Amino acid sequence: MQDRVEQVVREFVARVKPEAGEVTVETPLYADGVGLDSLEAAELSAVLEDEFGTDPFQGDTMPETLNDIVSFYVTA
Amino acid sequence: MIEFLRRGAQTRPERPAVVTHDLTVSYAELLAMAEGAATALSELGADRIALADHEAAPVIALMAAAAATGVEVCLLPPDGAEQVLDLVGRFDHTVVVTDRDDLPESALPAGVRRVGLAGLLATPAQSAPGDLPAHRPHLVLTTGTTGAPRGVRHDWGRLVRSTAHVQPAGDEHWLLCFGLHQFAGLQVLLHVLAAGATLVAPAPRRPREGLAAMRALGVTHASATPTYWRFLLAELRADGGPVPQLRQITLGGEAVPGPLLGELATTFPDAHVSQVYAASEFGSTGSMRDRRAGLSTAVLERGEDADVALKVVDGELWIRSRTGMVGYYGEPDVDAEEWRPTGDLVAVEDGRLVFLGRSSEIINVGGVKVHPLVIEERIGAVAGVDVARVYGRRNPMTGQIVAVEVVASAGADTTAIDAAIRAACADLPSASRPRSIRFVDEVSTTGSKIVRREAP
Repeated sequence: MQDRVEQVVREFVARVKPEAGEVTVETPLYADGVGLDSLEAAELSAVLEDEFGTDPFQGDTMPETLNDIVSFYVTA
Repeated sequence: MIEFLRRGAQTRPERPAVVTHDLTVSYAELLAMAEGAATALSELGADRIALADHEAAPVIALMAAAAATGVEVCLLPPDGAEQVLDLVGRFDHTVVVTDRDDLPESALPAGVRRVGLAGLLATPAQSAPGDLPAHRPHLVLTTGTTGAPRGVRHDWGRLVRSTAHVQPAGDEHWLLCFGLHQFAGLQVLLHVLAAGATLVAPAPRRPREGLAAMRALGVTHASATPTYWRFLLAELRADGGPVPQLRQITLGGEAVPGPLLGELATTFPDAHVSQVYAASEFGSTGSMRDRRAGLSTAVLERGEDADVALKVVDGELWIRSRTGMVGYYGEPDVDAEEWRPTGDLVAVEDGRLVFLGRSSEIINVGGVKVHPLVIEERIGAVAGVDVARVYGRRNPMTGQIVAVEVVASAGADTTAIDAAIRAACADLPSASRPRSIRFVDEVSTTGSKIVRREAP
């Protein structure tokens, strides 16, 4: 599961933010990290929902890193 | 309505009024059915009936009979028995005319009577036609795309008046692409009968069957939604068969994308291509034949004498129609001189009223209002896209995002299409770019119109 989640997120980042370079599990998704804006985060949320049926952005705490997203699915 | 059948039966009694793959019904035969049914309706004593049947000739005959006697007919959509019974209850009907096996008397609610359609039509006419009643109601149900269906009360006198411009054209064969329960289907029917022409009515009324009927039954004219035409063009590309020799293509019921007008003109080089702007509530506003998307702004300058006038208020089209509905079911009559909002959002560009979408279809992306049609038009022009549906998809970050469902051409590379769609929309404002692209076998439609709202 973890590998699949990481693959989906990295493919998404490679498409919308090719300039972001390598994304580790600790790279911040926004601002100085990957640099996703709110609409790109919204798009990632839809991609994850399509792929896994649920979406970590639906919760109270917004995921800040790839690790947060992985944790959402692994602990779900 | 009945007056058109009487005129047709008098001038050219043998001319086909309705044609299907299985039968041809002449004006004389259709009138005989209608006059007999008028006698039967008078004997029935009901002032309103619900009709649950969809074969064109019997339905037309019964509607004409109702128009002759002042009995209000409500033709129900071709739904299952459960939905039909829901509508019967919702619109307080106590008489259901049908020959459907799944709607026996025992299935109807207490107090609702079942009357066989074939029996009504087989009744011999017992008296010479008299004067038409002053009040001749007809009830059309909306498709319910914005919620529960509403009943729209019309009057045959007004409906017939809206065809005053129609010239006799007995050689025209019009394809029925809408259901006769839809207002657009009713408009096609009235036009055909007013012209003394022939209605070609295959069933079901889908693009595939429509294309087959065009080829087999000599269709020369067809009026359908842009969505219907898109699917018909896709069918035509897929089967590689002969292109029907159409003389007239009419589009209505939805905003018409410019690229589609061009594709139709190329595919059917001998056809006039026109668009109509009409709705159940206000009737037709006329047609545009210049093959450009939208309406000429000249429609805004018709003046007080015109039956139908238009104006733009805060980006929305408003209308005043003297040939439109009498009122909604269960509500008082509307004032025919009153201006009403249409729900259609428009922009004025280069002397055109360009349709942006329905006010109810606006996508709210983080507070930014996005019109789906502009995006849909771009995506529809991408190679390999047969049909696209743009709608607002719920999203926890921004409330909604722009989502698109795509029906791809047979054998097309969806990965390449996905990339091409994103490239085609790359210069749109960020909130307007599709954030969700899904490939589907079919898009959600109601009454051959794309539904641009997310399913609940």
